[in-house]
Amino acid sequence: MNQDLLERYLYAVTRRLPEKQREDVAQELRGLVDDMLFDRCGDITPTEKDLRVVLTELGTPRELYEKYSGDAGKCLIGQPYYSTYKLVLGIVLICAGAGITIANGILLMLEPQNGLQAVLTWLSMLWNSLISAFAFVTLLFAFFSWRGIPVNRDFDFDSLPTVPKQREQISRWECIAGIAFCIFFMVVFLGVPQVFCAWLPETNQRIPVFDAAAIRQGWYWIALFSVLGIAGETVKLLEGRYNRNVLLVTLGTNFLSAVAGILWLTQYNLMSPEFTAHLSQLFGEGEEIVVTLFSNFQIFFLCVLLFALILDTAEAVIRTLKK
Amino acid sequence: MDVDEVVSGLILELRRGTLILLVLSQMKEPTYGYSLVKTLSDNQIPMDANTLYPLLRRLEGQGLLSSQWDTAQGKPRKYYQITENGMEVLEKTKTYWKRFSEHVDNLLEGTV
Repeated sequence: MNQDLLERYLYAVTRRLPEKQREDVAQELRGLVDDMLFDRCGDITPTEKDLRVVLTELGTPRELYEKYSGDAGKCLIGQPYYSTYKLVLGIVLICAGAGITIANGILLMLEPQNGLQAVLTWLSMLWNSLISAFAFVTLLFAFFSWRGIPVNRDFDFDSLPTVPKQREQISRWECIAGIAFCIFFMVVFLGVPQVFCAWLPETNQRIPVFDAAAIRQGWYWIALFSVLGIAGETVKLLEGRYNRNVLLVTLGTNFLSAVAGILWLTQYNLMSPEFTAHLSQLFGEGEEIVVTLFSNFQIFFLCVLLFALILDTAEAVIRTLKK
Repeated sequence: MDVDEVVSGLILELRRGTLILLVLSQMKEPTYGYSLVKTLSDNQIPMDANTLYPLLRRLEGQGLLSSQWDTAQGKPRKYYQITENGMEVLEKTKTYWKRFSEHVDNLLEGTV
C-alpha cells in the first residue's frame, strides 16, 4: 500500500489547522483510516486501491479541513452587521465618487488637459478613492463583526422607535448631498482656492478672491467644518428622522461650527490684497453698497454662516419638538 | 419544486441537533471515534466518520468531553469521555427531548 498517499492526504487536511492540533488530528485520522481499512479488508493486506476508496469516503482534504476548522458557513461580515454595512458602504461610495468627480472637474477647469488624458486621470482618481473607501468600511465592519460590537439597538421591544410622522422624516438623499457638499467644500477650499476669482474685462485679468496662502495656513479650520458637517449628516442619515439624538448632535455640531467660524474669520485675513485693491474697479464707482460689502467680506461671510447655522438649528428644534 | 431535495434538507436539519445529543449519550465510558461510528450505525443511526471526528474535537473544545491517548495497545487510539459539564448538558437536553418528541408525536399522529 502506498503510505505516501496517506501522508500527503493528512498533510493537505492539517496544514492550515493551528499548529498544536496538526499532529494530534493526523494521528487520530491515521487510526481511523487503519480501522476503516481493516473493516474493508480484514486480515488481507490492503492495496492502494482500498486506501483510495477509504480516503474518498472520508471526503476531499478541503472538506475535512473545513469540518475541523469550523470555518464552513463562516463569513467576514455576517448579520446583524451586513444590512448596516451595505447601507454605509453604498453611501460612502456615492460620497467618495461624487466628491472626487467634482474636484476633478474643477482641476480640469484650471488646468485643461486633452480628452483621453482627462478621462484617464479621472478614472484613476475615482478608482483609488473607491478602493480606499471600500477597504476602510469593510475593515471597520469586519472588526465590529469580529468583536461583536452592537450596531443595532432594536433588541428590546420598548426601545423600538415609533413610526416617524412625515414631518420628522429625514430624506436619505438630503443627507448624502450634505455629506458630498462637505467633502466638496474641503477639497475645493484646500486644494484649489484660486477657483474663486473675479474677471476684469478691460485687461482680461483674473483676480483671485482669496489669499491661497492664508486659506492653507488655517487648513485645520476648514477640515473641522467638514468633519462637523459630515458627523451631523451621518447621524441624521443613520437615525432617518428628527429625534433627541439628532437634535443634540445638531446643536453640538452647529455650536462648534459657529465658534470655529468666528475664530477662523476673525483670526485670518483670507481675502487677497489684489482683490481688495481692485474692488472699485470691479464693481464700478456707483456701487457703493457692493464695494462696502466686499470690503468687509469676512464679517459678511460670518453673518451668513451664523444665519445658516441658526436656521438649521431652528429647523431641527421645530421638527423634533412639534409632534 | 424538487420534493426529494426539500426532504433531504429537512432531514439534515433534524439530524444536526439530535446527533450531538446521541454522541454525548454514548460517551459515559471512554470510547474512540470509530467504535462510536459502529455503535451508532449498528443502531440505525449512520454517521460519517468525517462528521463525527471533527464533532468530537469541537465538543472537547467546549468542555463537554475530555480525551486521552491510549498507546499501550498496538494501535494508538484517542479515547473520549463525557465530563461533568457534559453530563449536565446531556441530562437537561435529554429531558427536553423526551417532552418535545412526545408532543411532536401527538401532533403528527393527530391525537391532540
